[in-house]
Amino acid sequence: MDGKLKELEERRAKVLAGGGPKRIAAQHAKGKKTARERIEALLDSGSFVELDAFVEHRCTDLGMEGVEAPGEGVVIGYGTVNGRTVYVFAQDFTVIGGSLGEMHAAKICKAMDMAMKVGCPCIGINDSGGARIQEGVDALSGYGDIFYRNTLASGVVPQISVIMGPCAGGAVYSPALTDFVFMTEGSSNMFITGPQVIKAVTGEDVSAEDLGGARVHTEVSGVAHFRYALEDATIEGIRKLLSFLPQNNIEDAPIVSTGDDPNRLDPELAAIMPDSPNKPYDVRSIISRVVDAKDFFEIQPDYAKNIVTGFARLSGRSIGIIANQPQVMAGVLDINASDKASRFIRFCDSFNIPLVTFADTAGYLPGVGQEHGGVIRHGAKLLYAYSEATVPKLTVILRKAYGGAYIAMCSRHLGADQVLAWPTAEIAVMGPEGAANIIFKKEIDEASDPAATRAEKIADYKKSCFANPYKAAVRGYVDDVIDPRLTRARLASALSMLLGKRQTNPSKKHGNIPV
Amino acid sequence: MKQYKVTVNGQSFDVSVEEMGASAAPRLQVANTSAPAAPSAAPLAPVSASSAAPVVSSSSASAGAISVKAPMPGTVMSFKVTVGQEVKRGDVLLILEAMKMENEIVAPQAGKVAALRVPVSASVNTNDPLVDLE
Repeated sequence: MDGKLKELEERRAKVLAGGGPKRIAAQHAKGKKTARERIEALLDSGSFVELDAFVEHRCTDLGMEGVEAPGEGVVIGYGTVNGRTVYVFAQDFTVIGGSLGEMHAAKICKAMDMAMKVGCPCIGINDSGGARIQEGVDALSGYGDIFYRNTLASGVVPQISVIMGPCAGGAVYSPALTDFVFMTEGSSNMFITGPQVIKAVTGEDVSAEDLGGARVHTEVSGVAHFRYALEDATIEGIRKLLSFLPQNNIEDAPIVSTGDDPNRLDPELAAIMPDSPNKPYDVRSIISRVVDAKDFFEIQPDYAKNIVTGFARLSGRSIGIIANQPQVMAGVLDINASDKASRFIRFCDSFNIPLVTFADTAGYLPGVGQEHGGVIRHGAKLLYAYSEATVPKLTVILRKAYGGAYIAMCSRHLGADQVLAWPTAEIAVMGPEGAANIIFKKEIDEASDPAATRAEKIADYKKSCFANPYKAAVRGYVDDVIDPRLTRARLASALSMLLGKRQTNPSKKHGNIPV
Repeated sequence: MKQYKVTVNGQSFDVSVEEMGASAAPRLQVANTSAPAAPSAAPLAPVSASSAAPVVSSSSASAGAISVKAPMPGTVMSFKVTVGQEVKRGDVLLILEAMKMENEIVAPQAGKVAALRVPVSASVNTNDPLVDLE
């Protein structure tokens, strides 16, 4: 027995040594942790149980026969985060560059299958040079197996991808299929074709960082959701995100009591709204005052900033918040904002997280670029995502809710369960200036002083007609017009009232969202 | 070559601005469209001191210089900075009225204002340069 135990010890030690001290030192020199160090940092201390440590590749082509790859270049297993089970896999760059071969992929697939089976989140840490070329089509098969599972797991368990090194070529599609992508600045890259290929094909000179670094993907492309300067902060971000999520699509998110009274009145809220409807303000200052303990965790804070998305809690329950941001591009809806918001809405609906929408937008962004870019198709996603969502849907109309954008921002017409409006709300087909020009065109043209008549008509329209919440309240499209200070209390009350909400969409295989 | 329609004291000018690259000063071509009889600089003089002058007074752009562009179509209401002023990231450069909102256009990075590329009350399109920082 002693001999056998010794053998086990030796074998395990070999696997745990990964690519050896030299490569581990090189990894550390780049500011990167090893795969096992990352898992240790992510999971609750001592909770990690490694699986498949002894898996080996079986490739004999192109000199692979004698190549040892301890752990097959990827560490998989399970553990807990904040006391709740997660499955995790982390590619080990110190072992033949973390390259993905048949058995490497099989390990990842096992972690995903198990996460699906037990209904827990799956977190993948990517740090790989790409496909193991020597394994040929077996490596490609491995990628395909992973994508397939990503797709099946979508909407069943939360899937989180973490990019902490290179992630290029086909490898990028697994993160793209998952719910949230984290990137660490400086060390992570994602692209389909790298700088060398681009140089050869199009002649463009671009660095890996400028092509697919963390900044690019969180600000420009929208591929990634979070960017952190260091690995430790990235990992803290993942733990924070998980705290808002349920384990799977059948459970509810955990209730976390912060001691913040749901009926807390906030007399300061009204003061955030400027007196002039043309003045911008930061909608996040409203959100943070409404939610529990001012704790608002923003998703994609640097992308399509004209719409704000993120998680928070109301009486301890997770909610997903979508809000127009008047401070950025007047809070208009455009292609990127529609994409960002609709994907977030669909995530929340998949995982039973109620939606709270704060509306203040003058509409969709005009322009040839937007129209030719397909703003019709992209904007439609927002309508689709809100309409199909069956979780509790609460809407607060803060100020402008004009035209199509009024409908799109979770109006009663798309199935909102409760629509509240501040007294500052202006619910109309269009803004007073435009409307007056059209409705009173003749009077204005024929008046002796057109400018004065126009101003008068605009004022008429504002006061007596539509630039207020009451026309909509008269029809019951707005359930109540509230004093802003009551916003938190009313939302908390509505949320608790809606706990028993049961709604099912017509039975179908799946819908056909205009992707 | 960027085309602008500029109205100064009720007169309309078509202005073409050509970007010459890193070291060259921008060249302006001004064609007066509404008042061909008085193309002299005289009526422009008092205005150019305040609002039109910054358009021309671009210093040579240095490495790391950036042009802050219009995020959407709108009208420039006012500039909050002057040429030569040092700004921090997040400082308001100008107010762009667009989508019924007075939008604050802020500096994406710290720097010195090298040029105001358009006059006040100019209509701008998405991606038109507004302020150069160096």
